Parts: sequence; structure tokens; C-alpha cells
Amino acid sequence: MKKIITVTVNGTEYESAVNPNMTLARFLREGLGLFGTKEGCGVGDCGACTVIMDGQPVNSCLVLAVEANGSAIVTIEGIGEGGKLHPVQEAFIEAGAIQCGFCTPGMVLVAVNLLENNPSPTENEVRQALSGNLCRCTGYQKIVEAVERAASKIVCGERAGEL
Amino acid sequence: MLFLPRFDYEEPRTLPEALDILSDLRSDTKVIAGGTDLIVNMKKGSVDPARIVSLKRLKGIRGITRKKEIVAIGSYTTAADIARSDVIARSFPVLRKAALSLGSPLIRNRATIGGNIATARPAADLPPALIALGARIKLRTKGTNRTVIPDVFFIGPGRSILGKDEIITEISLSTLPPFTGADYIKLGHRAALEIAIVAVASRITLDSPDGVIRDARIVLSAVAPTAVRALSAEGALLGEYPSDELFAKAASLAMNDCSPVSDIRGGADYRRDMVRALTIRTLANAYREACGQGVGL
Ligand SMILES: Cc1cc2nc3c(=O)[nH]c(=O)nc-3n(C[C@H](O)[C@H](O)[C@H](O)COP(=O)(O)OP(=O)(O)OC[C@H]3O[C@@H](n4cnc5c(N)ncnc54)[C@H](O)[C@@H]3O)c2cc1C
Ligand code: FES
Ligand code: FES
Repeated sequence: MKKIITVTVNGTEYESAVNPNMTLARFLREGLGLFGTKEGCGVGDCGACTVIMDGQPVNSCLVLAVEANGSAIVTIEGIGEGGKLHPVQEAFIEAGAIQCGFCTPGMVLVAVNLLENNPSPTENEVRQALSGNLCRCTGYQKIVEAVERAASKIVCGERAGEL
Repeated sequence: MLFLPRFDYEEPRTLPEALDILSDLRSDTKVIAGGTDLIVNMKKGSVDPARIVSLKRLKGIRGITRKKEIVAIGSYTTAADIARSDVIARSFPVLRKAALSLGSPLIRNRATIGGNIATARPAADLPPALIALGARIKLRTKGTNRTVIPDVFFIGPGRSILGKDEIITEISLSTLPPFTGADYIKLGHRAALEIAIVAVASRITLDSPDGVIRDARIVLSAVAPTAVRALSAEGALLGEYPSDELFAKAASLAMNDCSPVSDIRGGADYRRDMVRALTIRTLANAYREACGQGVGL
């Protein structure tokens, strides 16, 4: 039997009837047409399906859509503002941290969440935070550099704003 | 893409309501907490429940509270909650270390302590630390209430004494006596997203900083159908002054306190060797902590 859920995705509230066996990953893609969330392994190993749920990054392939009832979700579509990329996205492009791009939405969301909680992480903290996200292309080094670059961008940006 | 089979879904608001649903044993019902085990198993087809009962809305089963000497961890508390708890970091750093070795940061944000116990995986990361710390597990059904120790909870891979109609509600720990130290080391091929090849949790309590060992527990994981205590190794430590030689002797005994198998993750002989290495290391770190020198992560 379908269940009615109310989920806030990227600031917009959606009410929807879903089957209990619908995962959050599939709901976002097929239900809401937000194809930025990728599904790789489907079993929690790769992190391609990462979304931010109530402030915490989670594997959306392992969350039932019905379990997200009442939650606030942020997907890769929700982090830029007014058509402008988020500083983390800019840093990924500048650092060459994107190749095929399949892991990128998950990597970027984990990085955004990390920098919100810890604006100046050490390299080790960056690597730890990203340890649930696999990349088959880049070898990770450039992704780590991108997150470090984004951290200094954001901190500098805030300082500039204060001046 | 892996799809989930169909099932009915219930979201009770109270524990009695949840227990009431589970007490109807006619339908094949499974509890869901974080879903990091259940959803994977359902996608792979190894379990196929007709109905799922979510613990999400139950109040009072998530969070860590301290009342005098007892620290209570609600069964819905996640590995991430445990890893960032000040109470746990101060009183049971070994549990923090175990929680941080579970899965990945993403998995830890969903994976609960209740689910980690209920799945009864031989290599699960929290049970060894819980056994070493002398934890108690509270279980409830509609009409019954019992408290068990993890040593007797597990029966075999994926098997435990948990009834089909039973819910784990809480894990409680008594604060440790002075001059106690503990450590947990998990050996894997990589640091994240890895199931242990071998893991060892050890705890020792000294009479005084330069005294004899009054109490000891050594728990071996992934080398028997369940996490097991290395009883002969523990016995060798009691009443003795800590030393490298003593720890080496206990570690050699620990090698025969387990029954590892050979599989793609490691051979039985290799696992036994690693039991010895990790027993020495965890005992040395536990001793350092017991003397007040702290143990690094
Ligand atoms: C990619 C990945 C990596 C992992 N890595 C590790 C690891 O390194 N170490 C490790 O130990 N585990 C690991 N796991 C397994 C899993 O994440 C943990 O066992 C987790 O703690 C399970 O908790 P959960 O809340 O997600 O359980 P769920 O999946 O919700 O439930 C698991 C089982 O327990 C039952 N259950 C849950 N809560 C209760 C309760 N309160 N009372 C009664 N029954 C209950 C359910 O019915 C189900 O049978 C990993 C899983 C994945 C997908
Ligand atoms: S698709 Fe979710 S972790 Fe791989
Ligand atoms: S860029 Fe291809 S998987 Fe990371």
C-alpha cells in the first residue's frame, strides 16, 4: 500500500504517495526528476547516491523514501545559489577533480557538509570525510586538493565580506 | 540497479504500539532501524519480510544519558552519535574507537547500535568493545522484559537469542573502576568500508598504577562464529604484574581460544597470527591507558 510522505527537498516541500519499497535515491530521481543523485552500487559501498538528510550526509540508496518522511534533504541541485555554482563546485572544476563525474555529486555534498561543520579541515580530516565515497577516475588526490582549495575560498570569501 | 521486493510498512509512534505489532507472529515482520543491513540484505534477496516496522518515531530509544554510575545508550543511537558523544569519549573511549571503525562516515550516520547487535555478524564492530566493557542489553516484547549480557546474546553467524517479537531498547554500561584501560584494533585491507579480517578488544583493570592485574577481558572477533572471549588468555593475566612477556604469553594462549576459518579475506593461520599481534597491541595500549597515559586513536 502506498504511503503519503512530506519531504522538503532543496527548500521546497513535496507531498507524495510512495510505495514502501521505493528508496530515497529512486524517489529523488524518478519521483522528482532530480537526476543529479547517482546510483552506483545500490548497497552503501560507493557513495554516489549521497544526499544530506537533516544535516547529515547519508547513502540514499539505503534509505527508504517513507523513512525520509518529515526530513529535509539537500541534493547536488540544491547547493548553488541563483544559477551560480557553490564554491566547492568551482574548486572541483579548477582543481581538475572531475573526470567522468559520476562520483562528483556525492563528493561535493560530503565536502560542502564537512566545510559547514569544520571550515578549515586538515588534509587527514578531508580524507576521512570522503572515505565513504569511491572514485574510479581521479585517484582522489585532486579531489582532496579541491576541497582544500574550496576551504580557503570560503574562508577568504567570508573575510572579504566582513571588510 | 538493485530493487527491493514489496512489503508493508508500519511506523508506530510508541514502543508498546511497536511491540503490539510484532506480537502478531503470523506475518513475517522485521524491525528497521538505520536499514544499513536490512536494506542491503533485502536487495540481495537473503531476507524478504512481508512487513517492516520502523523504529524511527519511537521516543526515548535514541541518545546517550548518564545517571550516576550508569551510562544508557538507546538502541536507535547511531555509530556517529556514539563517536561524537563527550560522555562516551570520557568514560568509554574504546567504544568511540569501535564506532569510528564501522563502515564509512555515511554509513555511521544511519547505522545504529541496536542494529549492529541484532544482526549478529561475526565481524560486527561494536560487540567486541561492548563485551570487553561488560555491557548489558535490554530486550522487550509485549509481555516480557529481560536484560542479557552480549556474551550470551550471540549464538552464531546471523543468529542470536533475540525473539521475532522482541526489540532491543537499550544498551547500558557501568562506569569503569579506576586504573582501567581498554583498546580495540580492527585489521582490514583498508581503513574505511571494510569488514574486519580479525579484530581484538582488550580491557584490563589494575590494583594500582604499579600494581597487579585485577580484572581482564580479551575479546576476539571474526575468528569464531561469534565474538568470543579468550578465557585462557584472560586467566593468565589475573594477579600478575603487567609486562611485555606477560602480554606475549597471554597472546599466545589467545591463538587457541578461537577457531578461525580460511576465506577470501584471510587464511586461518594468518588470522591466528594476527590474533596474537593484536592481542599484544591492545593489551599494551590498555595498560598505558590504565596507568593514566592515555591511548591514541
Ligand atoms: C557499506 C557498508 C559497510 C558496513 N561496514 C560495517 C563495518 O565496518 N562494521 C560493522 O560492524 N558493520 C558494518 N556494516 C553493517 C551495518 O552497517 C551495521 O551492522 C549497522 O550497525 C546495522 O544497524 P542498522 O541500524 O542499520 O540496522 P538495520 O539494517 O536497520 O537492522 C539490521 C537487523 O537488526 C534488526 N534490528 C535493528 N534494530 C533492532 C532493534 N532495536 N531491536 C531488534 N532488532 C533490531 C533488524 O530487524 C535487522 O534484522 C556495513 C554496512 C554497509 C552497507
Ligand atoms: S549507490 Fe548508494 S552507496 Fe553506492
Ligand atoms: S570522476 Fe569518475 S568516478 Fe570520480
